[in-house]
Amino acid sequence: MKRYSAAALLVGLLFAGASLFAGDVPSLPKMEFTDTHLDNGLRVLLVPDHSAPVVAISVAYDVGSRNERPGRTGFAHLFEHMMFQGSENVGKGEHFILLENNGGDLNGTTNEDRTIYYEIVPKNQLDLILFLEADRMGKLAVNQTNLDNQRNAVQEERRLGIDNQPYGKSFLEIDSLAYDCFGYKHSTIGSMADLSAADLSDVKDFFRIYYAPNNAVLTLVGDFDPGEATAKIKKYFDSISRQPTPPPALPCEEDRYGERRETVMDPLARVPMVIAAYQVAPGNTAENYALRVLGDILGTGQSSRLYQSLIKDKQLATDVQVQTDARRGPSLMYFTATLRPGVKTDDVEKALYDMIEAVARDGVTSQEIDKVRMQNLRRQVQVRESALQVANRVGNSAVYFNDPNLINTALDKYNAITADDVKNAARKFLVPNLRAVVIASPDTHAAQAAQQGGQ
Amino acid sequence: MKSLNRTVAIILGGLILVSAALAQDKGTSAKAVQRLNRAPVSREILQVKLPRPTEMKLSNGLTVLLMERHKLPTIHFSLWINASSLYDPKDAPGLAKFTADMLREGTTNRSSAQLSSEIDALGATLNANSEFGSSYTAMTGSGLAVNTEKLLDLISDMLLNPAFANDELEKYKKRQLAELEELRADPNFLAEERMYRALYANYPAAVTAPTPASVQALSAPQLKQFHDQYYVPNNALLGVVGDFDSKQMTALLEKYLGPWKNRPYTAPNLGALPASAATKVYLVDRPDSVQTNILAGELAVPRNHPDYIPLRVMNQVLGGGASARLFLNLREEKGYTYGAYSSIAADNYPRPLLANTEVRTAVTDGSMHELLGEFKRLREEPVPDAELDDSRRSMVASFALSLERNSELLDLFMRVKHNNLSPDYWDRYPAEIAKVGPDKVQSMAKKYLDPDHLQVVCVGTGKEIKDTLAKYGAVETYDVDGKRMTQ
Repeated sequence: MKRYSAAALLVGLLFAGASLFAGDVPSLPKMEFTDTHLDNGLRVLLVPDHSAPVVAISVAYDVGSRNERPGRTGFAHLFEHMMFQGSENVGKGEHFILLENNGGDLNGTTNEDRTIYYEIVPKNQLDLILFLEADRMGKLAVNQTNLDNQRNAVQEERRLGIDNQPYGKSFLEIDSLAYDCFGYKHSTIGSMADLSAADLSDVKDFFRIYYAPNNAVLTLVGDFDPGEATAKIKKYFDSISRQPTPPPALPCEEDRYGERRETVMDPLARVPMVIAAYQVAPGNTAENYALRVLGDILGTGQSSRLYQSLIKDKQLATDVQVQTDARRGPSLMYFTATLRPGVKTDDVEKALYDMIEAVARDGVTSQEIDKVRMQNLRRQVQVRESALQVANRVGNSAVYFNDPNLINTALDKYNAITADDVKNAARKFLVPNLRAVVIASPDTHAAQAAQQGGQ
Repeated sequence: MKSLNRTVAIILGGLILVSAALAQDKGTSAKAVQRLNRAPVSREILQVKLPRPTEMKLSNGLTVLLMERHKLPTIHFSLWINASSLYDPKDAPGLAKFTADMLREGTTNRSSAQLSSEIDALGATLNANSEFGSSYTAMTGSGLAVNTEKLLDLISDMLLNPAFANDELEKYKKRQLAELEELRADPNFLAEERMYRALYANYPAAVTAPTPASVQALSAPQLKQFHDQYYVPNNALLGVVGDFDSKQMTALLEKYLGPWKNRPYTAPNLGALPASAATKVYLVDRPDSVQTNILAGELAVPRNHPDYIPLRVMNQVLGGGASARLFLNLREEKGYTYGAYSSIAADNYPRPLLANTEVRTAVTDGSMHELLGEFKRLREEPVPDAELDDSRRSMVASFALSLERNSELLDLFMRVKHNNLSPDYWDRYPAEIAKVGPDKVQSMAKKYLDPDHLQVVCVGTGKEIKDTLAKYGAVETYDVDGKRMTQ
């Protein structure tokens, strides 16, 4: 415990006025890192951490589904799959085999704003992960058979996650309804038709334009010697050529106004769901942090306002989730309520909006602010448990906000939020005119009637 | 585009077109693997010795595993009570679950809302959870080390003084009824429900959820009785991992859990496991499904059985990850699915080895063929040495990664204790895995992937897949509410 008290004074200053924190509160262990670029533009972040004999790599490319063009929705993610299909010196399937059979874990993930590839291995396999990432960054090998194969896999991924699940289509519909800009309006998984239309030349173009070292951030976290790691990174990545700077994503400047509503008929669902999404400030802004704090006050834990009100007291819903995006552009704050059978969606909506209006009117309490500070401290500590989580977190904030040090400063940014900030953000953003609402209705006839009534 | 048109044709055209469509949609036939062997690999397996916890007993007989880990200022408590849904009376499925869930709904000192507010104020998580089929109920509390004593106070209050208040119970029952309704929309739940019925017949592990009737009937005195009977320190195991000093922790545990009184208890007689049933195919008709969820397997062994480790090795070859046979065949070669895996569950009674995949409706037949074909290949052909080497290596080398997460590390040793494994189990594990040769794997496949006793469950659009499934055995059909359908 003592090791953490040295920095407690500093933390105490940041938390000034928060009574709960008057005592011995641990500060966040600081992650030291180096931040350099290779000659070809590859940004390299090294975060040594000798607490476990592992090393994790995250290669984050500055490309996501917001960079797609109409007619090719889902392509950034389909392309991510192609990155596992072989490169000049790695055969199809060999990536999985080399990593898993040497004790590693791996995956890739695509969202609107970026694409990340990552591995974690026992520390003696450092060369392996650097080699694998360099080979596919420099010399991806693609062919029609592998593209057809992965197109199938991705279409099954869509069926598994969306089309065969209750509420799946509603989760896609809410973004489509809430945004006007193409980049965020369409889904990352894409439409079946667009996935089917993608061809080999799309794959080659996408690789050439976006998968360049100067459009990527390599983060290495774990049990390595920084000098040795730097030499190895140069050895594997230096020969990859810089490419012209990719065209920027289409702008997503939203100035929509007016509530939007839609009812989705969902034969796979057995009870209705209400999804309300407000368009809010981009990630890593004071207003976005304020809304994330509010999201915790409203929706995190059984002491949260919505749990106590909608689930426990009024018994309108069985589950209420609050999720506040932190996108690079305009973000969404989602409220998702699964209804108790027999309850009317109107009643749930009203109860939800009443709770939101109460914040805009009366604000939140200092106890609630204290509680969220403690929750955020715990979260930030927890991220540090795994080298892979740290690698992805650091790489992500480098690509999103050009701020890899966010892993050390995010907690301060949350802790700077006051009850007034929360109230002001609620007043500004959580208003009907910035709201989109999707009702998932298991009852086909009721849904049709609602849609006709709305027209 | 072509495969989409086919899907549409199936839906519009009904059964006649199905067979045609199934014949056409063969997926892809990409080569699954091409090994160039040019990547630099360290052939050395990093030797990792897992740190062992210290074992001690509190004055009331509670066995405690203490594991100091000082990297981060966190604390994690895990309490396993040897009472679970296996102890549920036949007419009260859910009793163990309800008892555990209701611990969070108030004590004689704190209301439900107070408990929640105190837990959340610590930024902590604290829950009791009794999963169907597990042999124990787990109470888990995690948070910042600075809040250790407050967290322990809450754990103690929930464990020793639950209120089982009627008003909270009534609200809980309403939430449970609604959640049961939601579960029936989930294809995974439907597949598992049918599979466990098939595997366990009248044994308690056949049950995977309460029923509306059992939810409605449950009463506070029943919960209190279950708690009084089985929640006793001599029937439990506590593990603590994180940033603490063992001496101080021992004193804290005595203070907060010492008052937990020992009482004699009698474990109910669970009866005998059923003889393994003849192969059958269960269809759960979930209209409007665009995929078929396939689950196939058989009962295997308890965790401490000598076949367990050889079975783990076999499982690794079959479906242990993205480099295993099911994934490489059904996804990377055929393009039938996003994922195909197998896993072997482990507990102190026999749990199944199951393979699972989710495939578009039109390739249900091809997927069944390939999945069962992989079972057959394991039975009939010894695994090539190089492939087996890879699988064994993967299981041992990944040990380094388990050193990162405190709760997972503790869990490994909780299992040693709970499943009566030898204390040096994890030290000997690499050597035990190395011993498993191709003959052994093949004999495991013959024994536990026996084509005469395989149980298969498919959840999907019945009218499109029923005829196909008949090729693989007698088909028994159920609706999403779990009722047998006669046609």
